[in-house]
Amino acid sequence: MNRWRRSVDEIQARKRQVTECERALEALCKVTACFQQMAISIGSNSDGSFLREEMDETRALAHRICTGLHRRLVPLLTERVTEPGQEDRLQVERMWVLFLTGLENLQQDLHKASDLIDRFPLKQRNDRRALVNTGASDGVTGVSARAASVQTPWLAVEVAQNPDLKTHITQIDALVKEMLQKVSIPFWAVEATQEAWVEGAQSQDAAHDQDETLEEMMVVSEDDQMSGCCQPLNCKLGCMFCLST
Amino acid sequence: MTSCEAGNPLHPPTQTELLGTSSMSDDQITVEVFVVEMQDPKSGVKGADQKLNVTIIPHVINGQDILAWIVTKMKVTTEEAQAFGTMLVAYGYIYPLQNHRKLVLVPDSTLYRFQTPYFWPMQKWPAEDIDYAIYLARRNIRKKGMLEPYEQQHYDNLHKWMNPKWDFIVMQATEQYKASKERKKPDRVVLDCQERAYWIVHRPPRRTHSAMDYGLDRLIDPNAEEVLTFDMVRRTNIFLTQALMRSAVKSSVSLTAFVKYVTTHHNHDPFLTTPVPSNPWITDSDEFWQLNSRSVDIPTKLSVERWVLSFWELISDPRGRVDFKLFLKKEHSAENMAFYEAAEEMRWGAASAIPEKSQFIFNTFLKPGAPRWINIDGRTMGLTVKGLVVPHRYVLDAAQTHIFLLMKKDTFYRYLKSPVHKDMQKRALVPAPHVFTDAQLEANVRNRNPGISPILLWQQEEEEKAAAAAAARPIDVKAMVATNKLDRK
Repeated sequence: MNRWRRSVDEIQARKRQVTECERALEALCKVTACFQQMAISIGSNSDGSFLREEMDETRALAHRICTGLHRRLVPLLTERVTEPGQEDRLQVERMWVLFLTGLENLQQDLHKASDLIDRFPLKQRNDRRALVNTGASDGVTGVSARAASVQTPWLAVEVAQNPDLKTHITQIDALVKEMLQKVSIPFWAVEATQEAWVEGAQSQDAAHDQDETLEEMMVVSEDDQMSGCCQPLNCKLGCMFCLST
Repeated sequence: MTSCEAGNPLHPPTQTELLGTSSMSDDQITVEVFVVEMQDPKSGVKGADQKLNVTIIPHVINGQDILAWIVTKMKVTTEEAQAFGTMLVAYGYIYPLQNHRKLVLVPDSTLYRFQTPYFWPMQKWPAEDIDYAIYLARRNIRKKGMLEPYEQQHYDNLHKWMNPKWDFIVMQATEQYKASKERKKPDRVVLDCQERAYWIVHRPPRRTHSAMDYGLDRLIDPNAEEVLTFDMVRRTNIFLTQALMRSAVKSSVSLTAFVKYVTTHHNHDPFLTTPVPSNPWITDSDEFWQLNSRSVDIPTKLSVERWVLSFWELISDPRGRVDFKLFLKKEHSAENMAFYEAAEEMRWGAASAIPEKSQFIFNTFLKPGAPRWINIDGRTMGLTVKGLVVPHRYVLDAAQTHIFLLMKKDTFYRYLKSPVHKDMQKRALVPAPHVFTDAQLEANVRNRNPGISPILLWQQEEEEKAAAAAAARPIDVKAMVATNKLDRK
């Protein structure tokens, strides 16, 4: 009787850990997406010390999530297969593969960001002239807010040593290598749960109505050039007449 | 890394450095310095504002201005500046706003914009498939499945090959999509344009020529200086001394032979003369091949003229060989050609069939009293028969050469004077040249068919060979008497 109860506890603990890891994976995706959005702006005219600081903070958050997730996933995987409660083995393997892919993605972004920061340092005043005018204005506040809203899903507060960029890169390189060697899960054994083309079908209409105008805006610009559209900022209605001419 | 030089106006990079740039290691940095100078707000190309439906997006530049700036900066001609500008666009440092698939610099009022450094082409960070998959998934979400056909193909391909990572790809795509919605609208337009331009350069659709087609990855770096080692020099020396020791033909002699060949074959070469009726590779109509095929009744005049040139031409043209065999049948001296063909078959055929073929050839052609005994001189016959004891692929070479020369020196000339050939010369047709309009050319492309299957052709040849072998078998006198054919009543 006691043995049975103990194994139920173990199963529940394991389930909790697995859901924690899933949420951590989602958080990692969020953070890497925000980091990439910021990294795109390095070297462009929307670059600045604000952007670089935000990037550092996002990177630190990503580091915390990565190390925590790593620390939790490895014991889940290295338990012996004969232990009870291993029905979610497939799920855990899938998470491992996705975590590895996410780490590699983050690693590439970090390398690129580090290269670009080296090429476009912002130490002197006239370094700003070197920033490429790409047409983007500063818009990273929303993205950084979104990144900051991501929280690590584990309750325990861990010792956070925020590494700087170069050490972070070396740490991630080492982590990836170690992961590849420690647990040998063949990549091809994991199957995707998503079918192809599914993500395009699920959409929230309100948000998407906005996006259709993006394409239209980019195409319409030709007509605008030719007809010499006047005050576009003011006439949202007036542009209908512009188009018709 | 030229981090300290990026802000200061340098001396302009030399023309040779930049114009010779097709690979991107040492010269990459100079190109980037150039682009940074180009976008300098004070001394670079003048930017304007792009007016769109509801916003204004700054920093858009004109094709004309770009060209003029390159000409003054690099001090080159307009054509060279045009070529250089097109290269900048093809590499993705600048992207066109209007015709986004055509990566050229048009020197008029077409609009371009600078690409953000994150999306600059870097040799160390080639565009990865997983990034492309995330981009396509995000585009799919945004456009609700309305992707271009080439994008759809890539998507399906990547879904198949990156299936284990697909969940991550979709998750990341949704997150990136949501993150991009946090930006202001003009920024989103700009980011979308930038990313689209990046992927058009790195995964170009059909008919887009980006500069990324650099071929295969090479193991040695072509830009690295080649250090001359002792071993390389020693080998070069050996090679050159051996080359000197070879006996050489005087160039006047070899060139005369070459000129003679070209003049005799001038009319038969598809590059020097337009083939009649038309070149199938150009007009997609295969009438030329059909008129010159093996089984056609009446050959073209050009083929017949070609057969006269030499015996080898006659033999190598399949229609010519058929004609020659017809002549030989009339002359009842077909055994030479049959032996030649049998020897060719043994020479080029399967190794497992060699003993059986050699036995057959010996019985049919070589043994004294054979049904189709060939007339070769005693020495060659002795050598061949001795070699046939342990047959290999090339045992019949000597005999085959002898027969070939015999046919060439004797039978060929009789063939040329024969009524068979003269009749053919008279009957040979001259096809009319095709004149196709553009619409007809397109119709030709659509109506291309794979033609007769080579398996069928091979079967036909085998049947003909069997029929010929049956016809050439020695007449069985007893059988003929039995069927009363020889009876003179």
